[in-house]
Amino acid sequence: MIEAETVTAVMRALADPTRRAVFERIVDSDEITVVELTRGSGVTQGAISQHLKSLKQAGLVCERPEGRNVYYRAEPRGLAPLADWMSHYGVFWRDRFADLRHLLKEIDP
Amino acid sequence: MNQAVKPDTQAIVVDDIFPHAPEVIWKALTSGELIGRWLMAPTGFAPVVGTHFTFQTTPAGAWDGTIHCEVLEVVSNERLSYAWRGGHEGNVGYGAPLETVVTFSLSRTDTGTRLRLVHSGFVLPNNDTAYRKMSEGWKKVVANLDRVAAEQASPQKLH
Repeated sequence: MIEAETVTAVMRALADPTRRAVFERIVDSDEITVVELTRGSGVTQGAISQHLKSLKQAGLVCERPEGRNVYYRAEPRGLAPLADWMSHYGVFWRDRFADLRHLLKEIDP
Repeated sequence: MNQAVKPDTQAIVVDDIFPHAPEVIWKALTSGELIGRWLMAPTGFAPVVGTHFTFQTTPAGAWDGTIHCEVLEVVSNERLSYAWRGGHEGNVGYGAPLETVVTFSLSRTDTGTRLRLVHSGFVLPNNDTAYRKMSEGWKKVVANLDRVAAEQASPQKLH
């Protein structure tokens, strides 16, 4: 069961724009290191590490140590409190628009 | 039914340009047979305000998979809006109660028609046992984070 506190925790974790940008970069990559995340972020590696800590606590990212590196990846379940129906329809309508495009080509070549 | 987007809900927006006249797209949006060829086959659809119709989709738990719709607004070649209701109190995640509105807006452009879909009224769910990983859908949620994050100050009413 996800409780109200969990939803709030997730939203709090994502309320910070820099942290949100970090999270979105993790989402867009399969796996990514702190060094890569810091590059071009405009903030220090220490700041990035702090953001990663918050994202981990909110259950939004998980880590995998390998040798000297730690690889971060997004944890899809972490966003679940904000997702389900909405995710479903986000995909659904995009697919339907593609189908509509095909249909229109057929009926109005 | 107040259609205003409430501050505690979220909307999905899909906006695209099609190389066809608004009249052609309008036909695809308002003919039952054509709706069935790109969206789902409706039962009882007519482009008349007040008409109740249904779509049948995948059942989930206590929900039989029926989407109950009601035509709310019809402006020929410009705007079509219907209520989109489904789900069941006994479910969470996919299949949870859904009380939303789908609005299509058409506007003529130099190259055809801009079609904008707004599916509004999503309430933050209160748990996730039915959650499945979906790459694109998930990214869609991420794209909506700005709005979600802005709402974090307002306490969520969970049922």
